[in-house]
Amino acid sequence: MEPSIHLAPRAEENGYAVMVAQLLRQGLDERTAKKSTLAKMHGRVTLVVTDLGLTVTMVFDGGRVVVHDGFAGIPDVTVRAPSEWHTKMSLVELEPRLGLPDPRGAVTKEVLEASKRGEIQMHGMWTSLPLVLRMTKILSVA
Amino acid sequence: MSHSFPSEPWTAAFADAVNANEVYRKHGAPWTYGAVAMVCSADPSLGLEEDVGMILDVDRGACRGAKLVKGMDAVMDTPFVIVAPYARWKQVIRGEIDPIKAMMEGKLKMTKGHLPTMLRFVESSRALVTSATAVPTTFLDE
Repeated sequence: MEPSIHLAPRAEENGYAVMVAQLLRQGLDERTAKKSTLAKMHGRVTLVVTDLGLTVTMVFDGGRVVVHDGFAGIPDVTVRAPSEWHTKMSLVELEPRLGLPDPRGAVTKEVLEASKRGEIQMHGMWTSLPLVLRMTKILSVA
Repeated sequence: MSHSFPSEPWTAAFADAVNANEVYRKHGAPWTYGAVAMVCSADPSLGLEEDVGMILDVDRGACRGAKLVKGMDAVMDTPFVIVAPYARWKQVIRGEIDPIKAMMEGKLKMTKGHLPTMLRFVESSRALVTSATAVPTTFLDE
């Protein structure tokens, strides 16, 4: 099944929702291996940009993604961080074989340190680890 | 000497400011993805009867040339196009808003271009746009 990325009604008014949808579409076009990753994803991920007061929810349903403005249902994973870190998280280095975050990568280290300091808060990570790792992979531009 | 924004002298001064920006030179050094257009939307109340664009021919951390164009058709061949109303560009030129945050908020819109590439070059993208703060500027509404 070909992936489909859509904006929910009114999400086009949220600049970050538009960016996330564009990033997903262009990332999938650029690296087709991401399509099989996306096909395995089910669940809701909410991104809260704390300094800008923006919230975006991605609803994954096996190759189909709907990007919503704000919360949309109860998220499996919530990432709360300032805009600077949301941008940086898309630059996390992935190790080439499995596509998992590379702990040796400079940006990966920075993100881990920011998480330890509480600047990046990720709720639901341990109960939805596969979803988190796949999300990192499909949103990564590194 | 102060230049009216937007105008040909302002565009030339902007290109000079980009070339004088050490941060841009450093982070933009690997950039080989083509020109960037910054478009100011038409605003008849300010005397801008049609969209006005500044096309920056950027390559490997330098601006090889810049030109002022009128109408969206004139920027259609430019690989990256960022559009905003006059008031937003004024805030950017004054250094009042961060261009990346402004994109997340939908205040600046990338209407054409590859977002993953722009995010890979997030520091150079920011430096490119904020070079405008170094240009002494006279605004149409002042």
